[in-house]
Amino acid sequence: MALYEGIALIQEKQAVVLDLGTDYTKFGFTGEAAPRCIVRSEFWCQAERRYKRLYDYRTPQELYDNLVHMLHLLYFRHVLVNPKERRVVVVESLLTPTLFRETLAKVLFIHYEVSGALWVDSGRASALTLAAPVVLVVSIGARDAEVTAVVHGCPVLRALQSQPLGARAVNAELARLLDEDNGRELHLSDDVLDDIKVRACFVPGREAALRWAERGVPADVRETRRGADVLVSRRARALAAEPLFARDHDLASLPDIVLQCIMQCPIDARRSLAGSVLVTGGGAALPGLRARLAQELRHLADQPPYKERLRELEFKFHSAPAHENSVAWVGGALCGAACAGGGAGAGAGAGAGGEGRGVSRETYARTRRLRDWACLLHNTPPSHPHWDMQ
Amino acid sequence: MAYLTQPDYVKYACSCGQIKPITSLYFCRHCLQIRCGFCICHEVDSHYCANCLENMPSSEARLKKNRCSSCFDCPSCFHTLSTRATLAQPRQTPEQGSGDSKVENKQAKKMYYLSCFNCRWTSRDVGIPDQPVASGGWPERVNPNATRINQLLDYYKAIAQQEKQEKLDRERKKFAIRGKYITLTDKTGLTGAMARNIAGLPSSESTMSAIANFVPSEASADVEELSEDFYTKELNLNQITSMPQRLAAPEWQPSSVSRLYPIAKLLSVKRSQRCRACDHNLTKPEYNPGSIKFKIELLAFYHVPEVKIISYEPMKPGCTSALLLKLTNPTGHEMQVRLLQPEEVPDTEDRLEEPKSLEKSLEKSLNLEKDNLWYETVQRKADVTATCRVVTPDVTLTLAQRDDAAEYDDDATHDANDIILWRKSNKLALRLQVRCGEEVEAGSAAEAALTLQYRYRNTVPAPHEPRDHTLHATLMLQLGHVSG
Repeated sequence: MALYEGIALIQEKQAVVLDLGTDYTKFGFTGEAAPRCIVRSEFWCQAERRYKRLYDYRTPQELYDNLVHMLHLLYFRHVLVNPKERRVVVVESLLTPTLFRETLAKVLFIHYEVSGALWVDSGRASALTLAAPVVLVVSIGARDAEVTAVVHGCPVLRALQSQPLGARAVNAELARLLDEDNGRELHLSDDVLDDIKVRACFVPGREAALRWAERGVPADVRETRRGADVLVSRRARALAAEPLFARDHDLASLPDIVLQCIMQCPIDARRSLAGSVLVTGGGAALPGLRARLAQELRHLADQPPYKERLRELEFKFHSAPAHENSVAWVGGALCGAACAGGGAGAGAGAGAGGEGRGVSRETYARTRRLRDWACLLHNTPPSHPHWDMQ
Repeated sequence: MAYLTQPDYVKYACSCGQIKPITSLYFCRHCLQIRCGFCICHEVDSHYCANCLENMPSSEARLKKNRCSSCFDCPSCFHTLSTRATLAQPRQTPEQGSGDSKVENKQAKKMYYLSCFNCRWTSRDVGIPDQPVASGGWPERVNPNATRINQLLDYYKAIAQQEKQEKLDRERKKFAIRGKYITLTDKTGLTGAMARNIAGLPSSESTMSAIANFVPSEASADVEELSEDFYTKELNLNQITSMPQRLAAPEWQPSSVSRLYPIAKLLSVKRSQRCRACDHNLTKPEYNPGSIKFKIELLAFYHVPEVKIISYEPMKPGCTSALLLKLTNPTGHEMQVRLLQPEEVPDTEDRLEEPKSLEKSLEKSLNLEKDNLWYETVQRKADVTATCRVVTPDVTLTLAQRDDAAEYDDDATHDANDIILWRKSNKLALRLQVRCGEEVEAGSAAEAALTLQYRYRNTVPAPHEPRDHTLHATLMLQLGHVSG
């Protein structure tokens, strides 16, 4: 068996899968069940002598440099392979800025000379890990919470929802609560807040949250965190994630955007979408978050704005065969492995969509252009006069 | 001049436009250009374990997922774990006296466990049984999701296979020539199956069965509720892992301390570096992991004159201050140096045209496509706009070659004049004037740009090429802050 594997590997190098998240970057090989490394999206910047975040850029050139440094770190410190002549699967959000995509393509093809790259959007990738035909992907990232309806391998772009309800929102609320607890401004750094959140915070059920919001949290239990000299009350622990569920007139809370996404989907997909929800993203790893979201969804579906349009929805939840923070990555790894036989351009079946989105190095050298759903050119058929004007 | 903890006072401009200290620059002897880590091509040379300094062939490293088989990291503090030995007591004698048990147990067996000397974590903490051998043999864990992922993989591969087949069939149908020979076998699919068999592809039945037997994920209405412990029990931070501890094992990401397992140590790589323009190696390490030497080592530090700042007067807007510099010639040949303003450097293109031999141009045209791709997209003009201006004297200075024996000579030769402060073997101290701009704000960083034009003797044996070249190196000097 090992021999066969060797032969297969000589023929084509195992592709790598790259998921550059706002906070954490996932990187590893296709066909594997988990990324090789999950590291913070930051690198040591020699010129500025500090850790610099990947998304910390003002000019395209700075972004280019950031990406070069980050990928160097990933390839040569963590995964230990030559980037040259090796394919890459990039897992990205559908809402990634064009500048970022184009710059990443430039870095991959020109700086690291990869032989091909395949762009997979995170919604579809997450759905691939389930192999269910219709999936509603609720992805809670570092900055944004995104809700994508994936119907038969096709994301419903019209219904795409995104709100800044990611881990940052939780961190901000936690910082506020801690300041109140301690009676002074603490100015905790992000990693301390992260640590408190990861180790102490939880999301209480709906009844408990309502009760506590009314009467206050029984704050008699107080935990201290050594090192930072911070008192963390039970109130802070329990209520840090409340901003995700706080409703206002904009109807922009997490359960609201889920329901809105369902509402904007084709009417015959709505029931099956509600019956197949997948909650992913690092932010979803908070204990109790899935349960709370389920309760909120069931409660809200009976409330006025949704009651008339969404009837008798039955919410059901999937659990993906991976940790919350690497679900999209695993989907990318599956997609990359399935495409491997057919070259960069082949599609990966029903789940991965009909046409492939892979770009080979030669293609990129000819036309420096990536397919993008937001670009009108790529939404027109090949015979359209648009293409001639290019 | 580069320091570990202090800022870099003298930085050189690389040919790609980056500005870096000389210690992080390379010098390509074939292109005669300064290169840096940004504009060269890095390659993985060999894998080794940084702890046991064991070499690992790259195929083996790939099989072992780039992990060392005998070294482990502490899952709690990431320090390297040490193997400790204990004497295991035979089980059948529980009532031994505590004092002289060692003497009596001749058959006491040596057992090993892993322990962290930094945080005192041991493999016994999480219930890993002690091992009878010192290295290896530790239980391997499998990813709980691996089977499901493999099922999914088979399923998607089968679908991709089927799609390909359908596409082929469709194409074949388009150009089908209904000949007289193929009918029967084609219909039974015998030739198709044979062809698949010969090609080593899975038969179409197996792909069909893989698709038919696959069960997609089922959603369930009941979600796991938050356990009551969160409401009632007191939080014990010592029992919960932190984020780095979880991410150190991406497959498992344990949330409780009792699930921490030793992490096999990640291998390191030795890298070789290659110039993008001419594909020659710039550095190539020795294969032996214990050796820190290089087979090829084209560092700028060995080829480009080094500049250090001895001292300078504080800069004042509109005033001239003195600046003392030290120039060092690192090469084994005498070197003529001239100081220029950065804008006086002839354009790069002209200099590249200099060697006009036939082979060179042929080689260049072969590489042209590739070179241009990188350079036209990435190359930048080094930003050498500076607040201060070094007044460059119009003299040619001669730097003696490096001579290790001359290090022991004490007396500096005294051919000092108003520019040369002193001279000692291959070193030269200069007294220069720096003019600070009129409109420079007080408190802003004072920087000066300077270009060295130097004669460089190429020692690469090339018969019909000039051995001596005139090269340029632009550098930025950090001269503190402009005082008011």
